[in-house]
Amino acid sequence: MIEINNFSFRYRESSEPTVRDINLQIPQGCFCGITGAAGSGKSTLTYAMNGIVPHWYPGDFYGQVKVCGMDTCDVALTDISRVVGSVCQDVESQIINNIVEDEMLYGLENFGFPQSEMERRVDQALADMGIADLRQRTVDSLSGGQLQKLAIASVLALEPQVLVLDEPTAELDPASSRTVFELLARYAREHGTTVVVVEQKIALLSEFSDLLVVCEAGAIRFAGPPREVLQHADELLAIGVNCPRSTTLMNSLARAGVYAGGTCCKVDEALGVLEALLGVVA
Amino acid sequence: MIEFRDVHVSYDAATPVLRGVNLRIEQGEFVAFVGTNGAGKSTTMRLINGLLKPDAGQVTIDGVPTGELATSQLARRVGFLFQNPDNQICCSTVGEELLFGLRALGVDEAEAHKRVARIVARFGFDANADPFLLNRGTRQLLALASIVVLGVPVIVLDEPTTGLDYRECTQVMDLIAQLHADGTTVVMVCHDMEIVADYAHRVVVMHEGRVIDDGPTFDVLRNPATLAQASLLPSQIVQLSLELAARHAELAGSPVAAANDLDQMVHACLAQLGGADG
Repeated sequence: MIEINNFSFRYRESSEPTVRDINLQIPQGCFCGITGAAGSGKSTLTYAMNGIVPHWYPGDFYGQVKVCGMDTCDVALTDISRVVGSVCQDVESQIINNIVEDEMLYGLENFGFPQSEMERRVDQALADMGIADLRQRTVDSLSGGQLQKLAIASVLALEPQVLVLDEPTAELDPASSRTVFELLARYAREHGTTVVVVEQKIALLSEFSDLLVVCEAGAIRFAGPPREVLQHADELLAIGVNCPRSTTLMNSLARAGVYAGGTCCKVDEALGVLEALLGVVA
Repeated sequence: MIEFRDVHVSYDAATPVLRGVNLRIEQGEFVAFVGTNGAGKSTTMRLINGLLKPDAGQVTIDGVPTGELATSQLARRVGFLFQNPDNQICCSTVGEELLFGLRALGVDEAEAHKRVARIVARFGFDANADPFLLNRGTRQLLALASIVVLGVPVIVLDEPTTGLDYRECTQVMDLIAQLHADGTTVVMVCHDMEIVADYAHRVVVMHEGRVIDDGPTFDVLRNPATLAQASLLPSQIVQLSLELAARHAELAGSPVAAANDLDQMVHACLAQLGGADG
């Protein structure tokens, strides 16, 4: 559970707050997607959840951020990192070992897990990310997408209660991106992991998020189930957030008066509606 | 013209990355390379600008093997945009960054300043700004501008829209489309199938170090065998029209089962349903 109350933050070197008056409740086991234009405050919001703000980046912190019952200002970054696993936007800044297996073991060793448990977790996380074959490879021989999978796998191995991922699929191909979202949704569903993902890939966010948050100029402009948020297609476009094409298609048909149903969030939904409209339901 | 003849590359003996790539890209084409991570796309791009040399086979630019061209000669023919602009930007002002490549190529200083002034105006940059204080999208535009200013006939782009928001992405891609319309050959790696569908004229699909399909964009993106083999997900509208065609024989040959983009699909649906177009 993440509770953010009246949170504002101004980085020490900035004259203005980067995020302002944020109020957000993310229940345990929720898959929360965060999107918005560049500079809208998405990353700073995630820094508040994993404690990087205020513990790493100093500045003026107003309000309260509680993660799994801990007030992030009252505990050390180490305490937060035991319950929150983070994947940075720039994965190269996160990976410090030269062999994939060593990188996987690094966090587990630091937290003092027994060796048999480490083995199980490394096997599981590498298999989940589909990179078991890379285990003995050197990190510098990996492609950008493979590095990103490694960064996610090394955090999954820690089995944290909360996962915070900043653009975790930016360098992944479409099939791998989908696999990552399916996997994160499974962790949320089966393990009760609270998943927070910052992404530009609105189609994946719309399909997988329970809660979709749209930031604009350091504030939350929309927050709710994707179906509710995507109803504001024109306002979203005005702030630099495009809807999935299947949503835009059905909105166009609604405007033309041939469709009167609700907002479609996924291709499958749009397909079902089109079949019904075209009279070709099996 | 760029040509690959039976090109093989491996980073170490145990991991071949390219296994016999053959292809030919003519002047003025707009080609997108797609495929899963590790399929060999970025390696292929690095062969075009000579950052890598093939272990076997040959890559030629205008008939000359890249191995016989000095870096400066290749740089006059091919501009390369890295995935991360921070791997490319090295100067302390936007103006200096734009001058950097021209100076390296020995362009006369007065001519270089004239070209930079034109590019600064075209992109709307502040020439005195510190590149590292610009946001990610603007840094990507600057990296692109530093290639455009060289006036090279071929630009190679490795995931030009990664990390950009929708507006930045549209701005970068519209600019690339304009360069193509002006005669520049564009070769890009791109994972975003909406962008590939919107901008590329030809698609090359790579899988496990080989080219498994190559042709006009929608011939490739509507080929079920290619999509399955390379684990590709086409753009949402193509997904919809392919599903409608596959599931309902009565729609075979109809415009809704053949639509490739949003406008085509809206018009096709309205024509079939009798709604008000537009």
